[in-house]
Amino acid sequence: MSDALKQSLDLSIFLEYRAILLQGLIFNALVFLGAAALALSVGLCAALMRINRHRPMRLIGTIHVELFRNAPDYIMLVWVHFVLPLLIGIVIRRRVEFHPFASAVIALGLVYSGYFAEAFRAGIQAIPQGNLDAGRAFGMSERLILRRITLPQVVRRMLPEALNLFVSMFKATTIVSLIAVPDLMYNVSMVIQQEMRPLPLYTGAALTYFLLIFLLSVGVRHFSERWRRKIMA
Amino acid sequence: MSNARAARESATIYMSDVPSIRVAGIHKSFGPLEVLRGVSFDVPRGSVVSVIGASGSGKSTLLRCVNYLEPPNAGEIYIEGEPLGARIDARGNRKARSLTEINAMRRELGVVFQQFNLWPHMTVLGNVIEAPIRVRKMPRKDAIAYAEECLRRVRMIEKANEYPARLSGGQQQRAAIARALAMRPKAMLFDEATSSLDPELTDEVLGVMRELATDGTTMIVVTHEMSFAREVSDRVIFLHQGVIEEEGPPGEIFGAPKSDRLRQFLSKYRR
Repeated sequence: MSDALKQSLDLSIFLEYRAILLQGLIFNALVFLGAAALALSVGLCAALMRINRHRPMRLIGTIHVELFRNAPDYIMLVWVHFVLPLLIGIVIRRRVEFHPFASAVIALGLVYSGYFAEAFRAGIQAIPQGNLDAGRAFGMSERLILRRITLPQVVRRMLPEALNLFVSMFKATTIVSLIAVPDLMYNVSMVIQQEMRPLPLYTGAALTYFLLIFLLSVGVRHFSERWRRKIMA
Repeated sequence: MSNARAARESATIYMSDVPSIRVAGIHKSFGPLEVLRGVSFDVPRGSVVSVIGASGSGKSTLLRCVNYLEPPNAGEIYIEGEPLGARIDARGNRKARSLTEINAMRRELGVVFQQFNLWPHMTVLGNVIEAPIRVRKMPRKDAIAYAEECLRRVRMIEKANEYPARLSGGQQQRAAIARALAMRPKAMLFDEATSSLDPELTDEVLGVMRELATDGTTMIVVTHEMSFAREVSDRVIFLHQGVIEEEGPPGEIFGAPKSDRLRQFLSKYRR
């Protein structure tokens, strides 16, 4: 093996910069957590609207799902960061700017809220009517039924799909470097500009993401599956 | 007279004039389909009324109307004299109740469904204590103590910590009966409680129901189990095409049916 190849494959440079790179990874995690919270809460609302008995509500829910599910992450990100503040600025007649971190959370949160809404909806509709009848017969309010009977079952049912969505979402956090959120990829690019050694640095970043996502999802799946299985006949 | 009935009559010391449940002129349609066309009957406290009839005669719909899972289109249900779907104010005006008020009223009726409808994500004990804690606001400790008493009554105490998926149909139904009992209802409604059970599991559920009847529980039982209806009920109602075709004490209904339709219906069970 030539020295040049050896040097370019030497991943130790990645470790040299571990402090700054880890800092970037923490940003990924923060964007992920914020976007996940937004996607879950907005997704649940959209799902409840899609199964609402009033038609206008259903329509709003459907528009939400179709709009965000079919918007590419990157375009949403750019649109939320550069266009949305302009529009808001025109309305309130004041200059508005979004912090890149906020734009990243909003954009990814909205895109994935569309996917989560569908996962919630499928989960809610899969619950037998009799389960709800039993709740009503014992005098439970609709809100109590949602919280105590519907959602705990929906969460178990949609867990495998939710896990896949969380994985895609974590991977999607890598694009936030494009609007200058100092995440792992952003910091890697910075280091590359200095060191001029893209091969080990990009490879290191790829390996880091792969290992992190792989280990996390295997772990979560392992621990959630037994808990989930209990209720299945 | 059957043992269950005799024991109940001696157990029921206090019998008020107000019936536990009064069903008054219930009509129910689903679109153009008229399922119930004016059904009225009383269920005195401590008595058992069985409702029999062919599939599609409106039996289950009737029971679902009694606790407003299906609000009737006309007519009213009275629980110990209180109208379930409406309030009569001081001036005698009828005002429809809100869903919250209906919820508060219908928890006085324990329902046992054909499909058990246990909540699969909770253990048997969890199912039984859920409504007493969340709806009756019972302290958890008291709810558990009473739930265990109910589970002992249906002989399910050993399975208290199992999930429904691991139980047989008969065990699930007995747990569902305990769940209804735990709310200390004024009356119990059984909607074909044994119809989705294998024959060998039917008896364990009927046994529990028979004991409840003996203890003086007010019950409306929609059933296909003619021998059970004959033995346990104080009154039997034969429903046909949404109206009461014939009603009376079990001896008359099964011993000397008056209408052709009832005779025809009963003959299918004698084979």
